[in-house]
Amino acid sequence: MSVFTDNFSATLPPPTRKSERWKYSPIAKLLNKEISISTEAAQGMNGWPESVLPNPVLNLDAYLVVFKNGVFEPTLSDLPVSDGVDCIPFSKMDQSGSLDFTNGYHQKEWIGELNETYRQDGLSLHVHRNVKVDRPIVIHHLTDGNNVASFPKHLIKVDEGGELNVVVWSSASDRSSGMYNGLLEASIGPNALLSLEKVCNEGGKVFHFSHEHIVQERDSKLKMHTFTIKGDWVRNELEIISRGKGTDSVFNGAYLPLGAEHVDNHTTMDHTSSDGTSSELYRGIMYGNSTGVFNGKVFVRPDAQKTNAFQQNTNIVADRGAAINTKPELEIYADDVKCSHGCTVGQFDLDALFYLKSRGIDEKAAKALLVEAFLADVLSSVSSTELCEEIMRLYTERHGW
Amino acid sequence: MLKINNLCAKVGDNEILKGLSLEVKPGELHAIMGPNGSGKSTLAAVLAGRDLYEVTGGSVDLDGIDLLDLEASERAREGVFLAFQYPIEIPGVSNLNFMKAALNGKRAHRGLEPIKAKDFLEKVKECSSLVELDGRLRDRSVNEGFSGGEKKRNEIFQMAMLEPKLAILDETDSGLDIDALRVVSKGVNAMRSPERSFIVITHYQRLLEHIVPDFVHVLSNGKIVKSGGKELALELEEKGYDWLKEPSHDTSNA
Ligand SMILES: Nc1ncnc2c1ncn2[C@@H]1O[C@H](COP(=O)(O)OP(=O)(O)O)[C@@H](O)[C@H]1O
Ligand SMILES: [Mg+2]
Repeated sequence: MSVFTDNFSATLPPPTRKSERWKYSPIAKLLNKEISISTEAAQGMNGWPESVLPNPVLNLDAYLVVFKNGVFEPTLSDLPVSDGVDCIPFSKMDQSGSLDFTNGYHQKEWIGELNETYRQDGLSLHVHRNVKVDRPIVIHHLTDGNNVASFPKHLIKVDEGGELNVVVWSSASDRSSGMYNGLLEASIGPNALLSLEKVCNEGGKVFHFSHEHIVQERDSKLKMHTFTIKGDWVRNELEIISRGKGTDSVFNGAYLPLGAEHVDNHTTMDHTSSDGTSSELYRGIMYGNSTGVFNGKVFVRPDAQKTNAFQQNTNIVADRGAAINTKPELEIYADDVKCSHGCTVGQFDLDALFYLKSRGIDEKAAKALLVEAFLADVLSSVSSTELCEEIMRLYTERHGW
Repeated sequence: MLKINNLCAKVGDNEILKGLSLEVKPGELHAIMGPNGSGKSTLAAVLAGRDLYEVTGGSVDLDGIDLLDLEASERAREGVFLAFQYPIEIPGVSNLNFMKAALNGKRAHRGLEPIKAKDFLEKVKECSSLVELDGRLRDRSVNEGFSGGEKKRNEIFQMAMLEPKLAILDETDSGLDIDALRVVSKGVNAMRSPERSFIVITHYQRLLEHIVPDFVHVLSNGKIVKSGGKELALELEEKGYDWLKEPSHDTSNA
């Protein structure tokens, strides 16, 4: 495997506590400044660890796009080939295949800058007008190795009236360490639908950074879910810009960290046009000594009259050593809008727990019932039951319910 | 069946049960009456295994088993059932899934395999008709958005589903209109059998016109201060509780 090693700390110093957006996730002290980036594919199953399956959701009938340590792995992939869908990894694109559809993402934040600097590969995915892609596309990232870093960037464009479901799933083998830095730019055309599920299920000691930047045109719909199943240190950034009238954005998330894990979700919903609806629900259960951050910004710009924005973040701190820092930020510049938000941090409902136990349900099963109920509203809008069940199964397996 | 001997329990520094003794034989129905704040709900919760209350003395024996040594769920599996004074709402957990988990928990304890879907639904039908529980309520989340009366009927429905050995009903009559009271009483009476014992906690004599007790006890200030037959309930209705209280220990404030 050929590898490129670099030290980024001088040109792109990781954020410290002094930066407001990184105050509760000061990464600078933790991160190894030297990174190794692989420049070759994994050579099929030969380079693939046994502990991780190439297809992360076995029951889901889906197209599969596999990357190992950031590089496209053709022999394990199954790309859609049909009229109206262009799905091409950058490494397979000839010189002429230019990426002419970026959504205007230009924000120079640390995650994005790092990604721009070291990008190896990624997927260019274009759904043409009125095309409804028949199966979900699962993009599976595997990190495997000691101190490896990967920097994928995916571009997604759904034209007017199109429909697409993408799952971005990241895995890491238990022996792994290093960094995953994923960037995703999507634009959803008029009346189009994008369902996007982002799942982090990484073993080992990988720093996981991701940034999704999504632009919605008029009457488009976004359904976005961010699930952190497992991950030593995770930072998810999601930014949604409503740029046309009557958009609908649903974005939910769940995290149930254990041990000393850290999970940070930063979201921004920017309503710049009228008649938009957004609904955000993030729920977390903090176990062990885990730490968490939720920061949800909602902007309603002066032209965004008749916006209806809902935001909720609900947390259960299950163990004494765990903690979560949650902060909603609403900035409303239009007058005819409906906005509501709420952040709560609490414990398991002991009355409910006793009620269940008093009927003969043991503590573990009772807690599982309460957790399932707690997560139900987050999961209910996931686009396929197979994925929904697999996520619940992984949580259940991990927590031993 | 049940032997409570000199039971003492507290919350924080607040001693609530102060040496309570009671024996209940198979098939018997004991009513426990008493003023607000005398410790009736505490007794019920301690028997069911709520660990909010600290047992500081005494013993509770159920058919040779030391009940105080068991977790709440284990007690339920041994046949203890508590109908709550204030049933808990659990959004997101369906009433039916809840009952299935409870039944299967009990069955696993007895070495039985999970109940078949068909048998389960039949049992649900039978038990819900017993207390005239609306089908829609069975399908909803546990007690969520139920009226006071519906919650109480749901408690009796659960009791019928779980067929306990010892059922403790904590003010099941409170908040019920006369029709609902009749329905709930009918359900309880249908459940009475020579093997099943009841402790029925109530504030009013009214319930005991429908559910006729074998014994009536008065709980005051954490102790049983008087016991008698069903006629004691009528006497209490007439005279109130004041004549039974020990003046030096009068702490009723509820
Ligand atoms: N969780 C608790 N914390 C503090 N005090 C309690 C608690 N539960 C009950 N008590 C007190 O114990 C006494 C008995 O309460 P309870 O058993 O509910 O009485 P009853 O059911 O007879 O009305 C009351 O004074 C009440 O305030
Ligand atoms: Mg009471």
